[in-house]
Amino acid sequence: MIRKACFFAVILVLLMIPPVSAESGKELVENSRHFDNNMVTFRGEVVGILMRGDYAWVNVLDNEVAIGVWCRANDAKGVSFVGDYTHIGDTVEVVGIFHFACLEHGGDLDIHAENFTVLVSGGAVERTPNLLAVFLSAVLVALAIFTVFWLRRLRKERGEIVPWPMSWT
Amino acid sequence: MIPALEREDLKVIGFNLCKFGNIVGFLLLVPIIVAVIYKEFDIIPHFLIASSITFILCNVGIHFLQTKKEMELKHALCFAALVWIFSMLLAALPLWSTGSVNSYLDANFDAMSGFTTTGLTLVPDIDHLPYSVNFYRHFLQFVGGIGIIVVSLTILARSEISSVLAFRGEARDMGIRPNVVRTSRVILGIAITFMVVGAVLFTIAGIKEGADVGTSIFDGLNYSMSAYGTGGFTPHSQSVLFYHSALYEIIAVIIILIGAFNFSFHFAVLGGRRREIFKNTEIRTIFITLIISTLIIAGLLLLSGIYSSPDVLFRKAFFQAASAHTATGFGTVYPAQISAVWPGAVLFMMSLIMILGTCANSTGGGIKAIRVAVIGKSFIKEIKKALSPNSAVVTAKFHHIDDVPLTDTIARGAMLIALGYVLLLIAGTTITMLHGYSMPDSMYETASAVGNVGLSSGITTPAMHGLLKATYIFLLLAGRLEITAVLVLMGFAILGLRRGIKK
Repeated sequence: MIRKACFFAVILVLLMIPPVSAESGKELVENSRHFDNNMVTFRGEVVGILMRGDYAWVNVLDNEVAIGVWCRANDAKGVSFVGDYTHIGDTVEVVGIFHFACLEHGGDLDIHAENFTVLVSGGAVERTPNLLAVFLSAVLVALAIFTVFWLRRLRKERGEIVPWPMSWT
Repeated sequence: MIPALEREDLKVIGFNLCKFGNIVGFLLLVPIIVAVIYKEFDIIPHFLIASSITFILCNVGIHFLQTKKEMELKHALCFAALVWIFSMLLAALPLWSTGSVNSYLDANFDAMSGFTTTGLTLVPDIDHLPYSVNFYRHFLQFVGGIGIIVVSLTILARSEISSVLAFRGEARDMGIRPNVVRTSRVILGIAITFMVVGAVLFTIAGIKEGADVGTSIFDGLNYSMSAYGTGGFTPHSQSVLFYHSALYEIIAVIIILIGAFNFSFHFAVLGGRRREIFKNTEIRTIFITLIISTLIIAGLLLLSGIYSSPDVLFRKAFFQAASAHTATGFGTVYPAQISAVWPGAVLFMMSLIMILGTCANSTGGGIKAIRVAVIGKSFIKEIKKALSPNSAVVTAKFHHIDDVPLTDTIARGAMLIALGYVLLLIAGTTITMLHGYSMPDSMYETASAVGNVGLSSGITTPAMHGLLKATYIFLLLAGRLEITAVLVLMGFAILGLRRGIKK
């Protein structure tokens, strides 16, 4: 009984502790000068990786804003999925120095990661065709082919169409 | 007195629109190739539906609006304006039905932004768009950059009179070839050549900068279509910043400058007239204004103390100035940074060069460098006239392929178009401000829309008011067609409403 009570007490305490706050992409960009050269925590989905020798750029998307994260190549290699139409990218947490205009990287806004953690692994997204769209497209394609050739034939009979090769001169 | 509209007038316009619409039907099939490559079988039906609807509508229209009457200037100008609206309505269908945007209005905005090579977008999640839809957006910019009518003339080979008029309605001049259809084919040939070269360069740069081969090829093709079309759409939400690469920026600047040059200039230089590079008034003007504007923007940023390093400052200033002046819209600075951090004076300067725009008869928009040169030379001519004796005859000329005497008619035409752009800028800025945005941001966004640029201060988002979206669609179209065609279309509509349509 006491052990059960202790267990629930620990769970309750853990739930009451607020999560480590992370700045949103929008917040960072809109207040970029305020955050310049400060340590920030940034979470988001990986949408691009560019390997540069011992280092790598990992583009992380959060709240409609993607920010480039400069990290060690080994950190980037730990990313399993990059987000696109058929994949949800890994969710990562980056703790690092935010630069409004990084002197090392041509004045780009970026974060130099000191700690790079994959929080949640992404995965493939199943995209099945919408059956109504498939049916509708089949009907409309057939109708379009019929309309084009039938009306063309009618106009040809009326003498409104010049034979095909002559219209290309 | 202007004669009342006749039913035959509407038939001429409608018949030609429907004939042209078949081209849009074919264009809507092209992204299916990309969908097959990337196995996006759920997207294919959407392009088939849009294409089929287009073919059915247009062929029924051709059947019922059949006419042998040739186009007159008034028909051609209306046709030129309506082609873009008609294309927008059809091209928006797959953007909307695939759920790439939130509403059909947003789809129309993006389609018009694509065709007019602007680059402002209402797509909420670019990074997760289907590859085929992403390709489609860039493909629209490439087609729009060359000119929808140019593309249709290349394929349809219409009668010479109609072709010439439609060609001019789309704000293009003549002079490459005596036959307008051949001219169109030369323009298309030049565009495809540069686009392919750009795609190869971007792909090599992408691989060199650490992207995987597949991403590099796909991005290379899309960035090249967008850059040559001076468009501004990119396959990633970070624009050019996605690559974090000076090399990528350099290639982008080279391709957008090539896209910003006059097609006649390309033809002359490729035909061996290399001296044209140094003699052409338009090319000289665009380089002078680009250098001056870069220096001013860099100076203003230096004074504000935002960038501490001179090379960083120059790189940011030059890329943003080149992107704005060539009406491209690629960015290496976030829109929110431009709005919140860059000084108001920089926004004003950027707005000014966005309105000045690129070369005439190119893929870009704005007042155009040749008109800026003509206006400048006219002012100098007037000053010289005032300082000379009454008996003196003061003349001026400019060089564009050949030496052209600067007449009062040419000067008046240039000033009228420039005035039109300024009026559009004032009207657009006022409407944007009425929606609660600040004056510098409103002016910047309006200049971007009117000049078909695509740089944003953050106003253009899916959450933007519907009325503002509709206003910007109008500004995009008016800016692309240099206002005249849109005014004639409005005149046509007013005439029809006031006096009715005769049988």
